[in-house]
Amino acid sequence: MLELLIQAAVALTASPSPAGPWKAVLDLSGGALPFALQIDARGRVWEGQLCNGRTCQSFSAVRLEGDSVILEIADYAAVLKASVRSDSLLGYYHNVGSKGPRTIPFRAARGRWPVSRAPRRLLGRWDATYYQDLGTSPRVFDLRNEAGGFQGRIISSTGDYGPYTGAVVGDSFAIGLFDGSFVYLLTGKLVGDTLRGVFHAGLRAQTPWTAVRSTGEPHLKSPTEVSRADTTAPLRFGFPDLQGRLVRADDPRFRGKVLLVDIFGTWCPSCHEATPELLRLYRRYHPRGLEVVGLAFEATGDTAVDAPQVRRYRDKFGIPFPLLLAGVNDNESIAAALPQLQDVTAFPTRVFVGRDVRVRRIHAGFHGLAAGPQHARQVGEFEAEIEKLLKESVNSKQ
Amino acid sequence: MTRSTAGSLGGFYVALLLLAANLAAQTPSDLATERAGYLAWLKKAPNSPLSAVAQQKIGDGVRLGPSEAEIPLAGIEEYRVYPSGGGLVLDGPGGKRPIGRGRPYRIGKYALYLTGPQPGTVLTVFADGAGREPPGYYDYDASVVFTGPLLRSERPEQARVLASDGMEAEATEVGTVVVPLGGRTSLRVLRIPVAGSDESELEIFFRDGTNGDGSYPAGRFVSLIPATDGRFRLDFNRARNPFCAYSAVYACPLPWRGNVIAEPVRAGERYSGGGLENPSTQENAK
Repeated sequence: MLELLIQAAVALTASPSPAGPWKAVLDLSGGALPFALQIDARGRVWEGQLCNGRTCQSFSAVRLEGDSVILEIADYAAVLKASVRSDSLLGYYHNVGSKGPRTIPFRAARGRWPVSRAPRRLLGRWDATYYQDLGTSPRVFDLRNEAGGFQGRIISSTGDYGPYTGAVVGDSFAIGLFDGSFVYLLTGKLVGDTLRGVFHAGLRAQTPWTAVRSTGEPHLKSPTEVSRADTTAPLRFGFPDLQGRLVRADDPRFRGKVLLVDIFGTWCPSCHEATPELLRLYRRYHPRGLEVVGLAFEATGDTAVDAPQVRRYRDKFGIPFPLLLAGVNDNESIAAALPQLQDVTAFPTRVFVGRDVRVRRIHAGFHGLAAGPQHARQVGEFEAEIEKLLKESVNSKQ
Repeated sequence: MTRSTAGSLGGFYVALLLLAANLAAQTPSDLATERAGYLAWLKKAPNSPLSAVAQQKIGDGVRLGPSEAEIPLAGIEEYRVYPSGGGLVLDGPGGKRPIGRGRPYRIGKYALYLTGPQPGTVLTVFADGAGREPPGYYDYDASVVFTGPLLRSERPEQARVLASDGMEAEATEVGTVVVPLGGRTSLRVLRIPVAGSDESELEIFFRDGTNGDGSYPAGRFVSLIPATDGRFRLDFNRARNPFCAYSAVYACPLPWRGNVIAEPVRAGERYSGGGLENPSTQENAK
């Protein structure tokens, strides 16, 4: 009898298991950003995934501490921490930048989000206009019903951050993108033949927008028109690699070669998506004289934090070319580190440098595989540019 | 509870009265979580402003170490940080090496950080163990939480201001709000971008009757939080110190024109001293 009572007491006091699928949201000031979690136990080891629709990424670690579950996203030095109730998780998302921590409320309920499909009148490409304090800024929305449900992409002149997923109710929708770093939510409603809504960035920033059906006319800037370079002098840079050795633009390994400078950050999901394509270019053209160097602009500025992040990134993709610690990921730091480049505002940005060490082309941003024809066109442009530069002699442009 | 009496302030702004919200007197859990995270960062981060012991613009170069150097660091041999070949170099006993912005470089017990572009690049020196205890907070006060709409400036203008960390930022003056404190007080609101993202904060740098008598003498920052129906929440319990309150090495933002509340606002972050005294790098090195 006593044993039964003890067992009953233990059952009453033990924390419920976090295992299973969860419908999760981040509670932003302007609405709930939806995403999904899957947490599992493999023996005594916990693991889990963070999912936006059918796009999932594994947590770097899942731990139980008391009645809390801690989900770590090491790529972005971020964590989801929540107390586990029988049917809910309640906690916060937390990551640390150079000016202190960012904390956003987080909650989840057991189960899976229902597959949501939009009416045909919402689908297709829309030319959107963001209304910011000092003017407007163009975007293109590409809204589709995919196998996993309603999905949207927000395309700017510098590419897109990947698919947003969420729900549709009548003519209204709320789709989000949360990957541990980006915290974005797009809410909108069809009013007549115009979409109207708000773009939410992080906990508090809100930008109103309207959108009309795309006519096919260009609505965005070309990715090659975003950033500019001083081409009157050879490109100069010098940053430490992951062993602390200084690597400069005039390093012997780059002399007489075509150089592709990849401005990236391990915190940047688009950079993760773009890296396999960069590796393909490297493997294809390196034997003919292409060199690639990655300039990492990281989140914290703390070498003890950033260097392991970049090493993890290198090892994740098996990157054979040098990755340099170039600074922190704010515009002013980038401008200071690379004073010959102007308006580098997109991650990743690829700088194509000829054998004469002059900048020949800057491509801002990256269109991922989900962008379909735009992705294919972008790859074709990269290959054509490299082919052209490889054919030039060292002195042809000097 | 809805008291409304929007009033015009003239000029380009239309001020709106923010209405007192009916909130519980206990610190809400989200605010408690935010505070806990921030205090942990202040206590543990290598670049916590509580550990800053010196800050100076690089200009043509800065000498560190010897007692006659611009930044004396006891027990440290001479180092120089100066611009070279489009970048910055740290030149010391171990030779020359490039030094990037926003990344710590260790010299003994010190960490050097560079921030901002040339010619305005700033060098900040942090010392291990130099951190003081973070200041505390006033008890939560539900009577200084307000909600209401913000009418925006008809012609928003850019303004170069110092953000809470003492670094220059290209902000946008977006409008004003009026709170029923000290009579009716108009407060200017600026949008300050978060570097490297699409995010931003609507910030108010204000002074009140507690300055120098419980809170930092130069004033405090508080963010305007979007609520529903186009309204905003202004919670003075979230008032926080500029970094210059933690260490005198940080540049302190000039008080914004107006933005003075003629009564004490006993809510938000307190001031525990230290911001008005220059830290001694000589003592910290011992």
